[in-house]
Amino acid sequence: MSSRSLRVTVALVRDTFREAFSRKIFWGFFGCSTALILFFIFILRIDVVQGAVATVSLFGNTSPARDVQRIVRQAHGAIAAFLFTAGMFLAVFASAGLIPSVFEPGRIELLLSKPVERYHILIGRYIGNLLVIAINVFYLVFTVWLIFGLKTGVWTYGFLWSSALTLFVFAVLLTVVVLIGVLWESAVIATMVTFGLMLVSPILAQKPLLERLLTSETSRNIVRTLYYVLPKVFDLGRMCRALVIGEPIGDWMPLWSSALFGVVVFGTGLYAFSKRNY
Amino acid sequence: MSFAIETEGLIKIFRNRWSGKEVRAVDGISLRVEQGSTFGLLGPNGAGKTTFVKMLLSCAHPTAGRASIFGRDARHAEARRPIGYLPENHRFPTYMTGRSMLDFYGALSGMDTAARQKRIPELLATVGLADWGNVRLGKYSKGMLQRVGLAQALMHAPTLLILDEPTDGVDPIGRIQIRELLQGLEQQGVTIFLNSHLLSEVELFCHDVAIIHRGRVALEGKVKELTAGSGYRVEAEQVPDRLQDELRAKARAVAQRNGNVEFVFGSREEANQAVDRLRSEHCAIETVARSTSTLEEVFVKVIHEQ
Repeated sequence: MSSRSLRVTVALVRDTFREAFSRKIFWGFFGCSTALILFFIFILRIDVVQGAVATVSLFGNTSPARDVQRIVRQAHGAIAAFLFTAGMFLAVFASAGLIPSVFEPGRIELLLSKPVERYHILIGRYIGNLLVIAINVFYLVFTVWLIFGLKTGVWTYGFLWSSALTLFVFAVLLTVVVLIGVLWESAVIATMVTFGLMLVSPILAQKPLLERLLTSETSRNIVRTLYYVLPKVFDLGRMCRALVIGEPIGDWMPLWSSALFGVVVFGTGLYAFSKRNY
Repeated sequence: MSFAIETEGLIKIFRNRWSGKEVRAVDGISLRVEQGSTFGLLGPNGAGKTTFVKMLLSCAHPTAGRASIFGRDARHAEARRPIGYLPENHRFPTYMTGRSMLDFYGALSGMDTAARQKRIPELLATVGLADWGNVRLGKYSKGMLQRVGLAQALMHAPTLLILDEPTDGVDPIGRIQIRELLQGLEQQGVTIFLNSHLLSEVELFCHDVAIIHRGRVALEGKVKELTAGSGYRVEAEQVPDRLQDELRAKARAVAQRNGNVEFVFGSREEANQAVDRLRSEHCAIETVARSTSTLEEVFVKVIHEQ
């Protein structure tokens, strides 16, 4: 990448951050993450005696426990589950407006009048949006991981990997926001479609059951096609859980097929953007 | 000669996705704008001016024809490097300050940090917003937004300025300042392409104009030549009715104006004879001048003829 190209990318990313700050998106997430971190610092007390948890105290209520590894993994699992579900919904909801806002009349013409390729504008904005969420996810996960590590002496890396996977799912869903933003310039439609994909995922994840229940071969084919084509948010959530609790991952198909979905959708978004008249 | 802007048979047809109905917004415009000139693009609403400009900037893709900027195909990003553009209904992000906005668009134009930091205060001072650089654009008035928009267009010292209604919302003093600024740029050899419905402004500033109507060039030429009249105007005071009748027979047109009488003659000889007759009757001569048309008169005539 040339220095000029890098300068343009940095400018686009900075602009996305400015907008995220202005819309309180960044600080909203940062505030939530900090609140959760403070919760773990001040509310949760874990007394470790000779490598095992003697007591766990939450809001002053003390309960005896034995397995320090289990306690840490449970806490990590709870945070990872929160990030993957509520966090993901919030991230999509909050950042859905950051992409379509670029296409506002009066703003897009000025961007396109600059000596920058159209794909560069969209990629810069996408990276910026992704970084806004990534910084918050890593801030929360890394700090919580550090707190638990320091309090218990247990350092499991699966939790860190699960945050990378969570961000990957967000990156895939963000490509849908990009495509919808280019086609309809609407944050509302972008949010609805992305939420739709997230909600349909647990249903499609029951593919074997659905195949048994459906009588028509056409219906079964539709379910199969949808399952393989659409991003496997639910399956990736399971993968996330496996990473946290330290189980091996048997099937990587949900990861690469979702990545393929993201690449195709993002490519379609770039193509549509290059062809549009403003 | 190389041209700042050159288009050949540029056509833009918009098709409705559902009904399939077509609108020919631009219908074969071939235009040449010389380097260093000040060019005004005129036309009634919906004539195709904005679509034409958008095709120059590659915001809209031509259906047919070609456009080039300083000899480069306008579709290529590099062709836009020498362009500074101020859109008509711009919507600058309100979360930006004047300074951060100039910094952002300067970076997109390829300027490095040092160059931007040097240029921003200079430009803010030039457009009279030196004290407003750190204020959010959401607090700016319309005139101030127009000024900072102009500064944005000038950020990377472009050699071609495309301005869409640059004085829209600007007060009369601000308009004069902008005009003086543009005149200074013209002297530096910057090509200025003005898209405006303010005919008097175009007449004051531009040397060349094109009038677009229904997507086509209806008239093109030098402002001086287009507004030059073919007659002579003689205005006098206290003209007796008898003499008025005598001169009316020779004049092309006669008009009463604040107690004065204005005659328009077809030739210099006729005008001189009329002046002799008026002086012989001791009438005070108010004006003797070559009659001209305003750009507005030319514009209205062209549009009505089409």
